[in-house]
Amino acid sequence: MASKPKIKELLDESSCAHNQNRKVACNAPTPGATTGGCAFEGAQISLFPYADAAHLVHGPMTCLGSSWETRATGTSYSRRDLTRMGFITDININDVVFSGEEKLAAAIDYIMTHYAPEAVFVYATCVTAMIGDDIDLLCKQAAERHGVPIVPVHAPGFVGSKNLGSRLAGEAVLTHLIGTKEPEETTAFDINLIGEYNVSGDMWQYTPLLAELGIRVLSTLSGDGRIAQIRTAHRAKLNVLVCAKSLVSLTRKMQERYGMPSVSLSFYGKRETSNGLLAIAEALGDLNLIERTRSLIAREEAKLAEKLKPYLLFFKGRKAVLNTGGNKTWSIAAALQDIGIEVVATAVKKATEDDREKARQLLGDQATLMMNPGAEQARIISETGADLLLAGGRSLYTAIKQGIAFADVNQEKKKSYGGYDGLLNLAEDLRNALQNPVFKNVARRAPWQK
Amino acid sequence: MAEVIHKTNKPLQVNPFKLSQPMGATLAFLGVDGCMPLMHGGQGCASLTKVFFTRHFCEPIAIQTSAVTDAVAVLDGGDYSIVESVKNITAKVTPSLIGLHTTGLPETKGDDIRGISAQIDYPLVYVNTPDYEGGLESGWAQTCKALIEQLVEPSKKADDNKLVLLPHVSLTPIEVEKIKEFIEGFGFKVSALPDLSTSLDGHLGDKQAALSSGGISLEEIRMLADAGLVVSVGDSMQAAATTLLKKNPAMRHEHFPHLQGLAATDVLVEMLLAETGFSGPPATVARWRQRLQDAMLDSHFALGQSRFLVAAEPDQLVGICQSLYDAGGKVAVAISTVDSPQLKKIKAEKVLVGDLEDAEQCADCYDLFVGNGHCEALAHRLHKGLLLRGFPNWEQVGNQMKNDVLYEGGCYFLFETANETVRFFMSQQSGTDQAKPCGNEHAGLQ
Repeated sequence: MASKPKIKELLDESSCAHNQNRKVACNAPTPGATTGGCAFEGAQISLFPYADAAHLVHGPMTCLGSSWETRATGTSYSRRDLTRMGFITDININDVVFSGEEKLAAAIDYIMTHYAPEAVFVYATCVTAMIGDDIDLLCKQAAERHGVPIVPVHAPGFVGSKNLGSRLAGEAVLTHLIGTKEPEETTAFDINLIGEYNVSGDMWQYTPLLAELGIRVLSTLSGDGRIAQIRTAHRAKLNVLVCAKSLVSLTRKMQERYGMPSVSLSFYGKRETSNGLLAIAEALGDLNLIERTRSLIAREEAKLAEKLKPYLLFFKGRKAVLNTGGNKTWSIAAALQDIGIEVVATAVKKATEDDREKARQLLGDQATLMMNPGAEQARIISETGADLLLAGGRSLYTAIKQGIAFADVNQEKKKSYGGYDGLLNLAEDLRNALQNPVFKNVARRAPWQK
Repeated sequence: MAEVIHKTNKPLQVNPFKLSQPMGATLAFLGVDGCMPLMHGGQGCASLTKVFFTRHFCEPIAIQTSAVTDAVAVLDGGDYSIVESVKNITAKVTPSLIGLHTTGLPETKGDDIRGISAQIDYPLVYVNTPDYEGGLESGWAQTCKALIEQLVEPSKKADDNKLVLLPHVSLTPIEVEKIKEFIEGFGFKVSALPDLSTSLDGHLGDKQAALSSGGISLEEIRMLADAGLVVSVGDSMQAAATTLLKKNPAMRHEHFPHLQGLAATDVLVEMLLAETGFSGPPATVARWRQRLQDAMLDSHFALGQSRFLVAAEPDQLVGICQSLYDAGGKVAVAISTVDSPQLKKIKAEKVLVGDLEDAEQCADCYDLFVGNGHCEALAHRLHKGLLLRGFPNWEQVGNQMKNDVLYEGGCYFLFETANETVRFFMSQQSGTDQAKPCGNEHAGLQ
């Protein structure tokens, strides 16, 4: 049991800004009034992008059946891409009554024999945590049998939210992988990318720029990641936390354990990308690197400005209302501003104090921070004459009633909006949305309606 | 007869296309008008299910969770979670019905949801659907059975013009609608339970829906037992039909394993003719039958040279395989998510309960996949053709309108399959010796 992380400690993360106001962070969900995923899902999201590891779910079918192949996390791994495979013990009533331990051990052996991955992550789920299968012991024995890390991930759904699961995944990686191998070589500019999952190739928008600057990505957790690399993560000079508050416990512990500093940033939008690159260079502390980064930023921004010209012209005078949550409340707003769209309102109902503050700074005093977007957004669209609503699918009706364009911010995107070039993808998609007559056309009254 | 392997000896599933019982239950409750499905378990089960169906149907999905936490799991027998859930749901919306269904977690600790439900003063139907048993199909079927058991009022009189349709889980919204209309063409008034044809059919409503936006009404469900005839489609629905019969001894039951292809539809028509005493079907039905005959001939050449792997829920599997078989398609392997009495009826060289790893291991023996979205990566890797059927299909839009059933849908299915076959062989051969969709023009039938 020693390897099981203490959930209470994780919830009370000292590096979390909002924990200073609230004693219990990320509190318990309300029955019948809860949205959002569970800890298991959060853990899976954090670890699944390792394409050279097998991800074995020890539980019944809902856990994996509904969740595998849901996220397009790109990988350059040349052998069989295990992110596009699902492994589950699919426990049955017999296992529930008589324990699923034997099955789990056999399942690990099966995977090692047939797929020979660099590691196996074994995920506990509600049912197998409940019946008390000793996953730690089985993983330890299997690791000895096979000579690769077999990592127990103790994030059964019922322990909490997606965010907590992500932290628990970080704990598992810290306990079982980081520091278990030495890199062949190190450079002065080795970094870890933490919390970057490379969804639709996001990180590939900026990693070439890092490479050009001579900054080496030693390891990632876990976008386009490799097990062999994350095992050497303790030798990096800097942890770069990308858009992921949940893994702040991990970076704090690595600071304590290995003295590794960290920076937290995002690569969403022009300003964020530039700030992010500079923040990395500054944290690495090399004057020459900082200088080179500044000139690279200048060059890239100029290149982008040139490519954005037709879009800026098109978006001139266009206004948008944004209805989303978390850091998207301001990060998408910033990206919209970068391409020349005025953001007249953003929803901050599901955002932290920090996020609200950032949104206010970005949007200025004139814009509305919506505390009750469902009720407010229609009125704001009418009053401001907004042209575009960016929100979840349910708000589509609002846009149609108002006769304005709609973009689904939650839709699984097929192309990346990250980095400098991603902004062009965003601009292109939004221009298409604004030019699309469909929203007006479907709102046509039926011939039999008065 | 095909070799049938009912049980796998693997200790795990690799690339599963099986889905869970609670997910089937959710979907069934979404076929009841104004319903709020309440999944009793950890919050993730409901969240994942919501995202899963939202992406499949491109529609908002109503669902809530009792959000059982580890502490609650130990201390609570379900009373607190469920009672609180109902209170919190009804504080915000007014569902016509709350559809309480379980997952593995509360079933493992043995929550007495029947007892708890009795304490709740709100229209509610409960069903036990642990996800360590059964699958999507049984979850749907059990829920249908529970709706009948707990809502339908017993009756003694039977209205011979009224018919209850019990469709299996894999029938799409448009398929349910087509079957209803087909039977209505013979003068019956048809109620489907559950009825996705008016809820998840992909219609633009007037406002955003917090509850299921259509489906069979609660009132209609209560009155189902005065129907003269119940028609079940899919072996999974037999138990629900039996339950309904108990509500009215005067009611009769006709069962159809599936409604795909010429022969299966003929059997339905024969039954409807016998019931009504009509001498023939409506003119459009006769016309569609001729069109299906023609479609079978038009597609037989392409299908006749193709070998298929079909992966589906049992009730859909038997129908797809029969359709292909009737027009000469060779089903080399049929893979089912779970065991079922349907498996022995399947027209295939090999039938097994398994996963997509099993599909991969016999990759030499077929050219095309028929299966869900998880077959896509595999088809790409193994250079196979692909026809997407079943849950989930996140690659395409319009899933709710894929129609494979009866004479009409049979035509669409064969054309789509034949065209995919040809596209596949052409992409394989790139220019040389291309397959033709039509062989000899069907001289015999003119």
